Amino acid sequence: MTDIDKLLQQQDIPPADPRARQAAMRAALDEFAQVQQAAQGSPENNRSSSQGFWQRLRLIKDATLRNIVMTSSTTRTLFAGLAAASVTVLGLFVVLPALLTVSPPSIDENEVILSDINMPSPQEAAAHDPMIEEIVVSGYAKPEGARTPEAPPASTVSKALRASYPDAMHMAVSAAPMTADSVTRPIPQNRDKFSTQQENPVKRTVDEPVSTFSVDVDTASYSYVRRQLNHGVLPAKNAVRAEEMLNYFDYAYSTPTNREQPFLPSIAVTDAPWAEGKKLLHIGIKGYDLSDQQKPKTNLVFLLDVSGSMNNPDKLPLVKQAMDMLLGSLNPDDTVAIVVYAGAAGTVLEPTAVKDKQKIVTAMRNLEAGGSTAGAEGIKQAYQLAEANFDKNAVNRVILATDGDFNVGISDTEQLKGYIERKRDQGIFLSVLGFGQGNYNDKLMQILAQNGNGVAAYIDTLSEAQKVLVQEANAALFPIAKDVKVQLEFNPKKVAEYRLIGYETRLLNREDFNNDKVDAGDIGAGHSVTALYELTLTDSDAKLIDDSRYTKNAAKKSDNSNEYGYLKLRYKLPKESESKLLQRPITNADTQVDSDLQREVAFATAVAGFAQQLTGSVYLNNFSYDDIIALAQANKGDDLYGYRTEFIQLVRKAKIAQEI
Amino acid sequence: MDPDNLGQLIRRAQAGETDAFSELLEAHYDVIYRFAFRWCARREAAEDITQQCCIKLARAITQFQHRCAFSTWLYRLVINTAQDWQRQDSRHDHTDEAAEQPSEAARDESQVYLQQILKQLDNMGEGLRETALLVLAEGFNHREAAEILGVKESTISWRLHHMRKQLASTDGAHIS
Repeated sequence: MTDIDKLLQQQDIPPADPRARQAAMRAALDEFAQVQQAAQGSPENNRSSSQGFWQRLRLIKDATLRNIVMTSSTTRTLFAGLAAASVTVLGLFVVLPALLTVSPPSIDENEVILSDINMPSPQEAAAHDPMIEEIVVSGYAKPEGARTPEAPPASTVSKALRASYPDAMHMAVSAAPMTADSVTRPIPQNRDKFSTQQENPVKRTVDEPVSTFSVDVDTASYSYVRRQLNHGVLPAKNAVRAEEMLNYFDYAYSTPTNREQPFLPSIAVTDAPWAEGKKLLHIGIKGYDLSDQQKPKTNLVFLLDVSGSMNNPDKLPLVKQAMDMLLGSLNPDDTVAIVVYAGAAGTVLEPTAVKDKQKIVTAMRNLEAGGSTAGAEGIKQAYQLAEANFDKNAVNRVILATDGDFNVGISDTEQLKGYIERKRDQGIFLSVLGFGQGNYNDKLMQILAQNGNGVAAYIDTLSEAQKVLVQEANAALFPIAKDVKVQLEFNPKKVAEYRLIGYETRLLNREDFNNDKVDAGDIGAGHSVTALYELTLTDSDAKLIDDSRYTKNAAKKSDNSNEYGYLKLRYKLPKESESKLLQRPITNADTQVDSDLQREVAFATAVAGFAQQLTGSVYLNNFSYDDIIALAQANKGDDLYGYRTEFIQLVRKAKIAQEI
Repeated sequence: MDPDNLGQLIRRAQAGETDAFSELLEAHYDVIYRFAFRWCARREAAEDITQQCCIKLARAITQFQHRCAFSTWLYRLVINTAQDWQRQDSRHDHTDEAAEQPSEAARDESQVYLQQILKQLDNMGEGLRETALLVLAEGFNHREAAEILGVKESTISWRLHHMRKQLASTDGAHIS
């Protein structure tokens, strides 16, 4: 096959238009001058150069060219102006004739009354008429006049610009490190990607007595939902994952004391607040927490996306601040390395001990966003560094921070997944921190983190960075168990129907439970995992599925009649490949729990209710936002860090957003 | 331009000298444009990509660390820009396809055929298009191409082999 060789070698390349060449040179020189100016001004400011399409608009000085490149916002202003002008004209047409037909009688009246005055009426009428006209014109024109093309106030234009493209706004706003808790910016056109999902259906215990799923300690969904609600918008249904919202909160479950058996399930059966006659089975699992002396050495490689799209106050600057925080929670012997990927991919910082903090901080400070994204190569480089510095007694982890766009297609997502899986088996794990929005690729991040035995967290604010990287640093860094699977077998004599709330993406086949080859979620030190089942008991009339006419419930051993079901938990210790089993029955005794657990269960129920409300669940009946607020309010407990209070605020915001 | 002079020029540009940067641009515009044209086969688009790339260069020039040849680094930049463009282009629903047609027809057949082959490469796997362009069109050897693309030399060899094999097999399919 020499076709391609021949064609490529003989390809006829027309010369570039000299004007295009000039324009390009001018644009580049302009940019160069700006970069230089910014660099001289202050080191912090040189991030404020704009990205993407807008830089061209700004750089093209030629007015005719600018007209050709007519953007949505300029057209909008123009059309608004045209509309205003036509309204004015229309107003004139409608009102003037009416007034004109009214005015003659008044002239007649004048004539009648002031009949002895010489020639008053024509003048008066003439004096009158323009006045009327003027009033009409100004009355209609004034409110609109502000928007006519003659006087387009700069603020309107820039507002329109800001509304449609936050990147453009960034030109005006200095890239000061973000300290506010939430950036209130208008939502841009949304290219965030989420996989579609279906709510778990109700199942008959007789047909399918066993339910199996993998644990999930990710919290990304909650942060994303929060971000959308803070903008006054209800999140897309696919962005809401009940399990991630449940697991965002730390619950006061009883903590295990033994590292060899690192879990302790807390179980409670309560009434479902949203459906009469139904029960909720609450399963809370708390992981063992490490003390400071038990913490293993940590080798971290940060893989940072510094592509142009990261050039936002809530992206790269926030990444830097987040890293700074994480540094504070590491031990002096731990090492940190930094790899960036974008136009200029490469290692920015070789593995450096945390005690050499100055060097790390300097490297971090010099990071800049610019260029395009080539995620796959960057990942390989990061893993190479992690390998070079591999310590089998340490925790070796790559932490990927990105706003989501990888320069890879679908087929390569598979390849990337495979790569991460192989590295995981070699002992290098991957965690993913998502930043920003507009381009966020939730699905890919989930896939990568799940295959890399890591967490996927979405960081929208500084306080979220604090939560993930400082308060929960242990959980994010030190796994205490991997491939944790949960299996429940319900007792058909007691439970007629059940429904798992959330975990749609984490369902496993029944046979996967005992198969140690099947990957599942991991639990870090101190993590807690919560799952809720909605149950309908056999003696309840709230059943949704009719009994089958032909298959009779075969009467089984009746000595288990006080059992709701049987819980099995499988997990592997971090360095082992054979799983361990933990099991216990769920009995009538579990309906009586102490008040602490009751409070936690009730709060989790409120969260689950909220998640279902946001996804438009069909099982909630009349359970409203107000009910959720009341339930959460009554059960928020101590709430040291204010997360639960924030939750209640979010429910209020959702309620308002719903009503709009 | 000999390497020493070029190195000097880049250092001066990195230090913020506009003249030096301008000279650097002048010297490399055609290289960038040529590669951009090979990528997209449309003059206007190639000019677009080239402008984007020049702007990127202005921003990124300080990040060049003189560890590899400037051309290696520059090609990386161009490829990234072209990939960005391609991705954005594919998002545009191709409503302006009709406008593209006349110029498409005006070009000789071999260009059209070449573009079809490149499209095929895209479907075969990632990295094939740039590998083909670098090695077959721009005349880099495998080691140099590997350096530009940041992969192993053997990967380049494998890609070329894979590409030829696949093209041959699809050709066979056409004949049969």
